[in-house]
Amino acid sequence: MKRIIPLFICLLIGFSMIIQFFIPHPTSLEFGSTIYKWVIVLIVFALVLAIGNLIRHHGTKIRRQKKDWPYSIVTLSSMIGMAIIGLFWGIQAESLFQKIYLNVFAPLSATMFALLAYYMASAAYRAFRARSLEATLLLAAAFIVMIGFMPFGQYIHPRFPAFAEWVMRVPNMASQRGILLGVAFGAIATALKIILGIERAWLGGKE
Amino acid sequence: MKWYEVISTIDRRIIYVLLTVLVILPFFTRVTIPQNIMPQTQRLFDFIESVPPNDKAVIMTFDYSPQTMPECHPMAKALLKHCFARNIPVIGVSFDPQGPGLAVDAITSVVDRINHYATSKEDSLVYGKDYVYLGWKSGRIAAMLDMGESIAGVFPRDYFGTSVDSFPLMQRIRNYKEVAIAIVLSAAAYPDDWIRYPQTRYGVNIGAGLTAVMAPKYYPFLQTGQIAGMMSGMKGAAEYEKLVLEHGYARELGTAETGMNSQSMIHILIIVFILLGNIGYFFSRRQK
Repeated sequence: MKRIIPLFICLLIGFSMIIQFFIPHPTSLEFGSTIYKWVIVLIVFALVLAIGNLIRHHGTKIRRQKKDWPYSIVTLSSMIGMAIIGLFWGIQAESLFQKIYLNVFAPLSATMFALLAYYMASAAYRAFRARSLEATLLLAAAFIVMIGFMPFGQYIHPRFPAFAEWVMRVPNMASQRGILLGVAFGAIATALKIILGIERAWLGGKE
Repeated sequence: MKWYEVISTIDRRIIYVLLTVLVILPFFTRVTIPQNIMPQTQRLFDFIESVPPNDKAVIMTFDYSPQTMPECHPMAKALLKHCFARNIPVIGVSFDPQGPGLAVDAITSVVDRINHYATSKEDSLVYGKDYVYLGWKSGRIAAMLDMGESIAGVFPRDYFGTSVDSFPLMQRIRNYKEVAIAIVLSAAAYPDDWIRYPQTRYGVNIGAGLTAVMAPKYYPFLQTGQIAGMMSGMKGAAEYEKLVLEHGYARELGTAETGMNSQSMIHILIIVFILLGNIGYFFSRRQK
């Protein structure tokens, strides 16, 4: 029963939502709207679970003084601190919450991401070599797109940007469309397998 | 050590120093390289131009985080300037939990600037009448679909806790029927969901402002018209800024223009290093 009931609910809701999607009748729309609201609420509960897990994980780390445990204090105090500031002093444009977000979190977050530029430049220099025909083609395409999309690409040749755009619009689009279609068919097959109960990994435990 | 071995084994610290210098340098110079406008940016601009003033609203989704702020934030500001200058109401939403902080910043900075130069009360932008920011909502696919029935049903209160029904704008704009276009400013695959669900179901027009690495994936949707127009990366933002300025909707260019100078310098540096690496590789292989 532990398996049959969830599988039955999945089958029922899965097919109902597929049918509902294609029938614009008020009853069908009302049913869809109710289910969507349930989904929104259910996902919020997943967030509660995530916060609980974060507190438990870092709490255990601090209690047992595991490796790098002081960072866990920073994580927990930041989370609790921001929540208190937001709840009691508001989240308006001039609020302390917004000031911390823009002046502490945003620069820290952007700095971490910006470090990627250094690794990319170094990696491109070391790894981007014309070792084979495929690598040479990749290199040529990258040069055309990079130069074409740079503002001064038009000064090298007036048609350079248009050529770069053509590379994106024709060869790139053809390959992207192939990938998209493949992914879409795969997603349909997986969804049907889940709805029909063929794929049961989402239930957890052993088959 | 032979010359070709030297150019193919340059110390990474030299690359790092050059990179740092070239990123910073354009911020101290006043050189502006004119942007050529890509067709997809022009299409998005033209679409907004075709929206009648004081009629349908534009939904802007702020689904980017501080990591991609240099690319997506100038797009948001340029779009807001364009919409406000043409009296097109804007409804802001976020499905990425990191979006609200940046959305509030983008909207506040543009609105404050416009209101600073406003000569009369009619010229000023009023929250709830000309624009609203509804905040973040979990379960984005369900939320996007349900907004087709009722936007207020999904967002009963705005980001600041005020009842959405109390806003004159939201009394007029109830669902996608009153929305001209939803423009997704994103650093993740959010436009996919907008195309698959609200567009298929309700026929809502979709525009996109995406990071440069994401843009190639969306060319098939541009070709089919499923995406009405698109800004790709910092270049797209700089192009939109230029269009907004040229049409008299803004007083100056935004930050993407300066950012583009830094980015171009880095691209040149990377191209030079890749060339050096390959020349070195070619000659060392010939020697063997």
